[in-house]
Amino acid sequence: MSPKLRYVGSRIVTTLLVLVCATVLLFSLTLFIPGNPAEVLLGPRATPEAVAAYSHIMGLDRPLLARLAIFLGNVLTGDLGRDVISGRPVLDLVLEVFPYTLTLTLAAIGLAVVLGVPLGCYAATHPGSVLDQVGAVTSVAFIAMPNFVVAVFLVLIFSVWLHWLPVLGVGRDGGWGDAVLRLILPALSLALSWIGYIARLLRASLLEVLGEAHIRTARAYGVPERRIVYRNALKLAAIPTVAILGLGVGRLLGGAIFAEIVFARPGLGTLVYDAIAVRNYPVVQAAVLVVVGVFTVTNLLTDLSYLWLDPRLGRRLGEAR
Amino acid sequence: MTDFSRRQILGAAATTAILGAAGLPFPVLAQQGRSSVTLAISRDIQGSLTPANRVGPIEGNIMRTVCQGLIRFKPGSFEWELSAAKALTQVNDTTIAFELNPGLMFHGGFGEMTADDVKFSFEQFGLVGADGKPAGYAKDWASLDHVEVTGKYTGKILLKSAAPQLWLVVLPDNSGLIISKKAFEAGAYRSDAQPIKLIGTGAYLLAEWVPNQRVVLKTNPDWKGAKPTFPEVVLQPVRDPKTAELALRANELQFTPVEPADAGEIEKEKDTKLLKQDSINYVWIGLNVEKPPFDNAKVRQALRLAIDVEQVLAGAYNGTVKPAYALMAPGLLGYWADAPKPKADPAAAKKLLAEAGHPTGFKCTLTLMNKPTYQAIGQIVQALLGEIGVQVELQVLDAGAYYAVGKGDTGKNLDMALQRFGGKADPAFQTQWFVASQIGTWNWQRWNDPAFDDASAKAASTNDKAERNRLYIEAQKRMEASGAYIWLTHEANIFAFRPWLKPAVLPNGDDMLYDRFTSV
Repeated sequence: MSPKLRYVGSRIVTTLLVLVCATVLLFSLTLFIPGNPAEVLLGPRATPEAVAAYSHIMGLDRPLLARLAIFLGNVLTGDLGRDVISGRPVLDLVLEVFPYTLTLTLAAIGLAVVLGVPLGCYAATHPGSVLDQVGAVTSVAFIAMPNFVVAVFLVLIFSVWLHWLPVLGVGRDGGWGDAVLRLILPALSLALSWIGYIARLLRASLLEVLGEAHIRTARAYGVPERRIVYRNALKLAAIPTVAILGLGVGRLLGGAIFAEIVFARPGLGTLVYDAIAVRNYPVVQAAVLVVVGVFTVTNLLTDLSYLWLDPRLGRRLGEAR
Repeated sequence: MTDFSRRQILGAAATTAILGAAGLPFPVLAQQGRSSVTLAISRDIQGSLTPANRVGPIEGNIMRTVCQGLIRFKPGSFEWELSAAKALTQVNDTTIAFELNPGLMFHGGFGEMTADDVKFSFEQFGLVGADGKPAGYAKDWASLDHVEVTGKYTGKILLKSAAPQLWLVVLPDNSGLIISKKAFEAGAYRSDAQPIKLIGTGAYLLAEWVPNQRVVLKTNPDWKGAKPTFPEVVLQPVRDPKTAELALRANELQFTPVEPADAGEIEKEKDTKLLKQDSINYVWIGLNVEKPPFDNAKVRQALRLAIDVEQVLAGAYNGTVKPAYALMAPGLLGYWADAPKPKADPAAAKKLLAEAGHPTGFKCTLTLMNKPTYQAIGQIVQALLGEIGVQVELQVLDAGAYYAVGKGDTGKNLDMALQRFGGKADPAFQTQWFVASQIGTWNWQRWNDPAFDDASAKAASTNDKAERNRLYIEAQKRMEASGAYIWLTHEANIFAFRPWLKPAVLPNGDDMLYDRFTSV
């Protein structure tokens, strides 16, 4: 087996292990609920007979390992249980809102990349310039400022004072245009800190790469500076940024909750928020499981992207063999 | 010809875009027409839309807009008027006769409302579900024996015993709504099948429910009553009150409840009106009488004397609410006008603590929900009790955890809890949570007083208004004597809205009459 394939295989196995561990941890959530989950589910007016019947249906009267095996089996077959309150399959609830969270996350990351990468490149190629210094200060300011404060300011400026952009929801009958307008403020409030973060990170790594021997060699051969920066150096300098973006997708998927609450958007965050408030554990478990799944898969893809971004990795894997 | 570089062209395009955006506000933000009104709701629909198994007031408000009861509340009061019924008469203590208006058609082709639908709707409350679960609001119709159908439009509601609260808490409210038997059997009202169908005969139809996004109500073309002002009412779930306030200022919402502490600021906004009304809910600090040192009456009295209620309200509610002195709010039957109005007296409180064997105070926990107002109350109480040596640790919990702490045996560990219950028009609704059978359910003070239980039971089963008034005051005197309840406020309901809107809200502040929101 080639070293690259072994590398891919080991990453996939690690990802699967993480997923299994996360699922087991989520299962154990029900063990820490004070009292009987069936009582929580049925409410204070339930009769002892109803509680006993529900305990049996939920498998609470079975040994712990048997319950864990059933839970894992159900997850594998896509059965994430039923919503305690509405009685609907939890998977349906999660799938209904997941596209909204994914759209918001991708829009935020996209904005961060589109604005952060050019800023970082400019700062690295013009170190000490006015824009570099202004960028450094504003980046730190945006990184330090909590997202919800940014969100409130954005709403005040663009919705309340200027009346340019809407605040609530994801749009109704306005089609794509309306949906995009309603995405701008939440995505920007999530993206601002990431723009600063990416710009600073990329600046630092690009400066480091630009000082390496092969870049000096390229310059000595008369390769144009623009080509050196954007073709040779950026690809290598992007590795730490890609790693951070991989983590960022996961963090934003779970952390979009504040944007979903502030902008009254549907999504995994609001689903979990509502579910926690009423102790709707199947929904909490399912939503967290989906976030964990996307997070680990994103990290797998990030790991695999290094093979393309950094040719040295492929060589190192070969040498290690 | 002038040559432009790529950089110059991109710069010019960006500048044009920014200037264009500045000069031309987006069309989506144009002032909404009055054919539609968008109102904030604090959460989405969470479950069944059947009267017997509804989740809470959000669902109830929607159901009352789509379905009719025999009678209904008038806006802003707990007085009722006829709705689906042409006549409704109390024949004797245990019999209520009704006659329906003919020609009330259920939406969706489910036919005319008949006495059979009334029987089906009310008797649903006594049924146990397939899962062995009793109806969530079974207690509302606990006095019902059965409904006797005497004709297509006529029938009798036969009770096991007199139940005066039916007239204020049940018949004009959600538990008195009439649903279609045919529609129910066809799967309507259930939340586990999407799209959910809510079938009624009311002024509006449930036109659309997009989970977590909006509920759209549209006028019912078959409605024969007064035409609603707004052809469309959109209910927008907004969980965060601050967001709702900002959305109101951005004119995306036309009506929203506001936090008392924010009322002053919002009032300064132009094009915004505030509706303030004293509520009938009740907020109190409850002491667990089973757990030391709160099992000592002197300790309970000491804490009561140490807490300056007016100071608490000034700090937590910004002075927008009045203090409460007993369970029943002013205006309700059983209101105890002469209830003691104790003044804070830390010196007397210290003396009582010393007599109870705690001269240097003690440590305890105050459990409360994670809402800003309650947290402010907690902090002020913490400071006030600190003055007499009682060190209070605040246990701030989310709603799910909070509602679990008083339940079952877990409730035995509670020290003090900051509680808030919603009130209804009949005092029977208010007293029912404090009886001994509610210990471990809603009676978190674990207070057991047979005299209170007896007075409450008698008052709930007689139609003699004066006697009921006397019994409820008697019951409140028992609560007062227990020292387990430190009443704080009956709250105030504050709503912000556009000046052209006239909201229709019941005095408890939770119940809205969306079909009677009008424009000025």
